[in-house]
Amino acid sequence: MPQRNMIEAIRSALADEMAADERVFVLGEDVGVKGGVFLATDGLLARFGEDRVVDTPIAEAGIVGVAIGASLHGLRPVAEIQFADYIHPAIDQILNEAARFRYRSNGDWHCPIVVRAPFGAGVHGALYHSQSTEALFTSTPGLKVLAPSTPYDAKGLLIAAIRDPDPVVFFEHKQLYRGAREEVPDGSYTVPIGRAALRRPGNDISLFTYGLMAHHSLAAAEELAREGVDVEVIDLRTLYPLDHAAILESVRKTGKALIVHEDKLTGGLGGEVGALIAEHAFEYLDAPVRRLASPDVHAVAFSDVLEAHFMLNPAKIAAAIRDLAAY
Amino acid sequence: MSDAAAAPAPHDLCGDHAAAGLADAQVLAALRGMIQARAVDDRLWLLSRQGKAHFVITSAGHEATQFGCALAVHAGRDYVVPYYRDMALAMALGQTPLEIFLHALGRAADPSSGGRQMFGHFNSRALRIVSGSSSVGSHPLHAVGLAWAFRITKERGLAAMTLFGEGATAEGAWHEAISFAGIHQLPVVFVCENNQYAISVPQAREVPVPDVAAKAAGYGMPGVIVDGNDLFAVYAAARQAMERARAGGGPTLLECKTYRLRPHSNADDDRKYRGEDEVSAWRARDPITRLERYALAAELIDQTGVAELRQAVAAEVEQAIDQAERAPAPAVETLFDHLYGAGEPSSDQ
Repeated sequence: MPQRNMIEAIRSALADEMAADERVFVLGEDVGVKGGVFLATDGLLARFGEDRVVDTPIAEAGIVGVAIGASLHGLRPVAEIQFADYIHPAIDQILNEAARFRYRSNGDWHCPIVVRAPFGAGVHGALYHSQSTEALFTSTPGLKVLAPSTPYDAKGLLIAAIRDPDPVVFFEHKQLYRGAREEVPDGSYTVPIGRAALRRPGNDISLFTYGLMAHHSLAAAEELAREGVDVEVIDLRTLYPLDHAAILESVRKTGKALIVHEDKLTGGLGGEVGALIAEHAFEYLDAPVRRLASPDVHAVAFSDVLEAHFMLNPAKIAAAIRDLAAY
Repeated sequence: MSDAAAAPAPHDLCGDHAAAGLADAQVLAALRGMIQARAVDDRLWLLSRQGKAHFVITSAGHEATQFGCALAVHAGRDYVVPYYRDMALAMALGQTPLEIFLHALGRAADPSSGGRQMFGHFNSRALRIVSGSSSVGSHPLHAVGLAWAFRITKERGLAAMTLFGEGATAEGAWHEAISFAGIHQLPVVFVCENNQYAISVPQAREVPVPDVAAKAAGYGMPGVIVDGNDLFAVYAAARQAMERARAGGGPTLLECKTYRLRPHSNADDDRKYRGEDEVSAWRARDPITRLERYALAAELIDQTGVAELRQAVAAEVEQAIDQAERAPAPAVETLFDHLYGAGEPSSDQ
């Protein structure tokens, strides 16, 4: 089976779905001749032509709005926002339009679009090429918000998103694009939307995370295993709607919960996961729910020193686990 | 535009209906439809004052623009992406007074939204009238996306029409839409219903040039200006634009100069921002009166016929209100319907 990194897995998902379904097309800035600034769409123009691989003007609301319109006629657009930092001009189209189309028309229309956006820090991207913007989208019914952490999941979830009848915002961590390869099959397969993945079973602490932090958390968990702390790592993958059952089942087993994300602490997804546990698993808890997140400053300063200080890493996560284990 | 109040001529519409490409029956149907739309509008404001309709937004004054445009649409084939001012348009495309009242009263059978959207958000997938939000200027992009879809599916002879006020042409998303359509010469007709006010803000404070149509020059398409209170002028221009679009000739920005004869909505007091003299002058150019005068002069109908028509419309409208008022509200369980497609997980399961 072929080995692929995440960007190759995403490219493979797009190519497979475009080959299998003529309704699927991609649009965005530089997605055509250049193949995308991260090369996610490299080679698609030559294979599928300019009607289905559309280089757009620099107009993010336009990219998503055009995708919405095309979806109303039955097409399956995959819009690329070049960096999640530039998704803000498209928020009206995503939240007010795409997410509400089905509901506001009482089921008359629906809006099967995917909006892909590279996110995350740690690549010297400074304030406007580093942001984690997922929390802007994880409180709007009608939307689905995904953030895969592995090449296999990236391909399977992207195909599931393209085939999904509702709008999906799909966050891809830039630092994972050219990370480790793993077996990613040729041809189509799906990973179910709405299901978290158990990455490492454990009995002492439940650690909930996603994206790049899933990898750092697993590294930290291995370190703590050597110290006799058995951490269960759950990769949420779907950030909205959350997999309530998986979260509650795990914390009822371990009695301790730590949520780790690169997004800011305040208003980040950790608050929602923590509230869910407090409401539905309070009597199982042996310690307060803990959150480890980026500090409440803007991601992220350009200076190497400041960037390193901002970023979470396995050592910081290990320290938080140690602290919670000792409670 | 000629001044109707001073005009001794029997009518002041542009040319005659045959020259505009309309048959006698189409003119009479449009006259009837416009009278009906105004009667529905009148009754909506009464329903609002009675506390039965929580929100009303008017199309009064825009009827010639909206009927002229609707006549240029192949209803159910071409897509129409309207805005909240377009009640007369929705009716011209096929929505009935009953359907309009069901929408205004938020009843379960409201075809636009099942009682979810406040009045003014006209929708019908069967008629290809596309549901909109209340955000100004967000929707023309959807018409552009539809036109892109025709390119991919290789469907020819189809166009999308999107309508908006001149206020929307200040929004970024409007510019993104018209720019994309111009770059790719897509089959989209952009119709600006310029009624000269964005609620209270006059055109001079919202558009830097006298004519919205002038903006077309920057986007690679013709800009056309018509008297929006003249059914024939609007129809001729809209038909030409739609035919050009369907034939692959590209988009058009069509500016229909008109006037809103009522406040923006039932929550607005227009006396704060415009004088009675100005409103009266535009009442004298009421598009329905002008069409009626034409129909009489052209002997398509006589005074008795007009009186009978108005009576028949009034009776229909009363019956529709009666029926809508008796129609059931949505069941509370439907609050959770249609968040996601069937079988999809919801966040609160």
